[in-house]
Amino acid sequence: MTPVIEVTNLRKIYKVGNEKVYALNNVNLEIYPGEVCCIVGQSGSGKSTLLNQLAGLEKPTTGQVKILGKEISAMTENQLAKFRQENLGFIFQSYNLLPSMTAVENVALPLMFKGVSLQKRTQLAKAALAQMGLSRRANHKPTEMSGGQQQRVGIARAFVSHPKVVFADEPTGNLDSYTTKKVLYQMLSMAYQQGITFIMVTHEPELAACADRVITLLDGVVQSNHLLPVQEIEHNRAELFRELEETQE
Amino acid sequence: MKVTDILRLARENLRRRKGRTALTVIGVVVGTCAIVVMISLGLAMSQSIESMLASWGDLTQIQIYNYVYGSTDAPTLDDEMLASIKALEHVTAVTPYYQARNVNATIVAGKNDRYNSYFYETYGLYPDAVEALGIQLISGNYLTETTDVGKGKIPVLVGENFAYSFYDSTKDWNSSKYQVYQGQTDALGNPVDPFVNVEKDKMWIRLQTWDDDGNEKHEDYQMVVVGVMASDYAKGYFTDSGIVMRLADLKRLEQAYEKLAGKRSSGSASYMVGVNGGGMVAQQDNGYENVYVKVDSVDHVEEVEEIIQSYGYQTNSMVQTREAMQAQVAQTQFILGGLAAISLFVAALNIANTMTMAIYERTREIGVMKVLGCELGKIRTLFLVEAGGIGFLGGVIGVILSLIISFIMNNFALIAAVLGFGGAGMGDLSSIFGMYTDGSSAASVIPIWLILFALAFATLVGVLSGIMPAVRATKISALEAIRHE
Repeated sequence: MTPVIEVTNLRKIYKVGNEKVYALNNVNLEIYPGEVCCIVGQSGSGKSTLLNQLAGLEKPTTGQVKILGKEISAMTENQLAKFRQENLGFIFQSYNLLPSMTAVENVALPLMFKGVSLQKRTQLAKAALAQMGLSRRANHKPTEMSGGQQQRVGIARAFVSHPKVVFADEPTGNLDSYTTKKVLYQMLSMAYQQGITFIMVTHEPELAACADRVITLLDGVVQSNHLLPVQEIEHNRAELFRELEETQE
Repeated sequence: MKVTDILRLARENLRRRKGRTALTVIGVVVGTCAIVVMISLGLAMSQSIESMLASWGDLTQIQIYNYVYGSTDAPTLDDEMLASIKALEHVTAVTPYYQARNVNATIVAGKNDRYNSYFYETYGLYPDAVEALGIQLISGNYLTETTDVGKGKIPVLVGENFAYSFYDSTKDWNSSKYQVYQGQTDALGNPVDPFVNVEKDKMWIRLQTWDDDGNEKHEDYQMVVVGVMASDYAKGYFTDSGIVMRLADLKRLEQAYEKLAGKRSSGSASYMVGVNGGGMVAQQDNGYENVYVKVDSVDHVEEVEEIIQSYGYQTNSMVQTREAMQAQVAQTQFILGGLAAISLFVAALNIANTMTMAIYERTREIGVMKVLGCELGKIRTLFLVEAGGIGFLGGVIGVILSLIISFIMNNFALIAAVLGFGGAGMGDLSSIFGMYTDGSSAASVIPIWLILFALAFATLVGVLSGIMPAVRATKISALEAIRHE
């Protein structure tokens, strides 16, 4: 199977004063289609930097990042924009919804950039919100919603255009533990339903325990990169989502 | 991303910051208004100057002066020469204004030739040129080569007030009954008719001469009025009180006079004798002294005039005067427009400032848009559309306001009267607005093109002031922006 994401000899060096800081040092990775992948590590281990590199938000100092066989580290900003429209979704820690727009308008935003008509994209956005259980919040502005609701709007936005890969940077970082589970559950089920490769940065071990692949970073170096056994994942997930499924039933 | 989406987003963004958008728009309104009003004043000024010039003389007319003192290199200005001038491009009519100055004649009418008028305001023209020169008739017909009013009779056009030029030769010259003036009324206030009804009464041109013994000899030629000219000083005084006849008729009268007086025909109108180096030099006969050329439009006058001058003739037209006055108007307009431009420039700075502020406020928003796949060009366009929108909105309001101001200026007296204003203060104001006009024409003129120009210009100013902020917006790092708290 060809990997969705292929990272070779990736280096990212920041200059702080006269000193060079190796945020990422010679990273090599392969992530395969449909995988749920967690990047974990301590603060300052370079996990957010890695995610930014994978998503093409930052250019590497050396090395290359390929997504779907395309070298995104060599693309221009406009090529990247096009590529993101077609293939990528994003979920942010601080939600990053546009405050002037309603939930539906926010969800429809990626479709608007793609050139989908107003009617069509509103319809798709409403369906995505319904999947998140937010139908009744469709015409609310972000300021009128709780953090969990905002993040679910964010998830709907990331998945609405059926991307190939969705990136999430500490998506539950601002949420309480119950909401965290709920949000995580929804992200994972969306990813599995649509067969989307899902890459998430987190520092919560119990989230990482639900991933197919866990990549651990330390000081900019990949310390471990392994697939979890299927049985273990299932067990962990059942454990994590038990109360959630109980309440939903 | 569709154009309609960009427009919708831009509108939404402007609406979101209503207060600031409104203030910025007001700046553009003031600028647009200043420019439109200033230009409209300038336009009104140049219109009134055009009409003033037109009242001074015909703008499409060139006069050739051919009064020769001594000798000249210019070719003889004869019928042949006139025909070749007539053949020039843009020339619609040519005619000499021929005056038989050496003819001594009087116009006589009435019983016992009681009423007399003067002959010296009599011109011989090519008959076909009269109408082309723009000489209007208030009654009757123009002369033609074939006009025939009977053997020996001379068809003429007379000026509108020619009838009032007759005087009663039986009265003393300082008697109140000596002449009837135009507009004269009797004791009851009724208008007094002139002595002669030029269209009904018979009139004669009396050629008079005296022999060596002082005996008068005369010959009468009846003249028949075929048309009455409308008085127009721009065409000449003769349209008011003179006579126009066919050039050939006038020349015939001249010959008849010379025969009567026993003088030999010189065949020339140039009769002066020049003094050259102390000696007497025979005056060179150089054809017609005074010729008028009519050109099809004001724009071609200069061109035709230059050709005629290149033949060696002296000419005169309103073009030079007009150009000087237009240059002055242009200068005034330039100053007024410059002042107005300053206020629009300030408005442009305002727009740039507002849009730059918007970038800082919307850094995160721009970052999110980029991460979600919005192309740089679309972000730039969005900002330009917002800035252009401010300009356009300001332009629209500014134009409406200018139309109102223009209306007030043009109808100031009326409005003041309706509102019951009055007094010296208001009078002063109206005289300021009336300053550039001759009173009757508008103080401010706003043609459609000015409205369209103002709208386009205001929008352009908006877009231009938006360029720098728009480019900056595209340069925002998406990563920085989404971290921005």
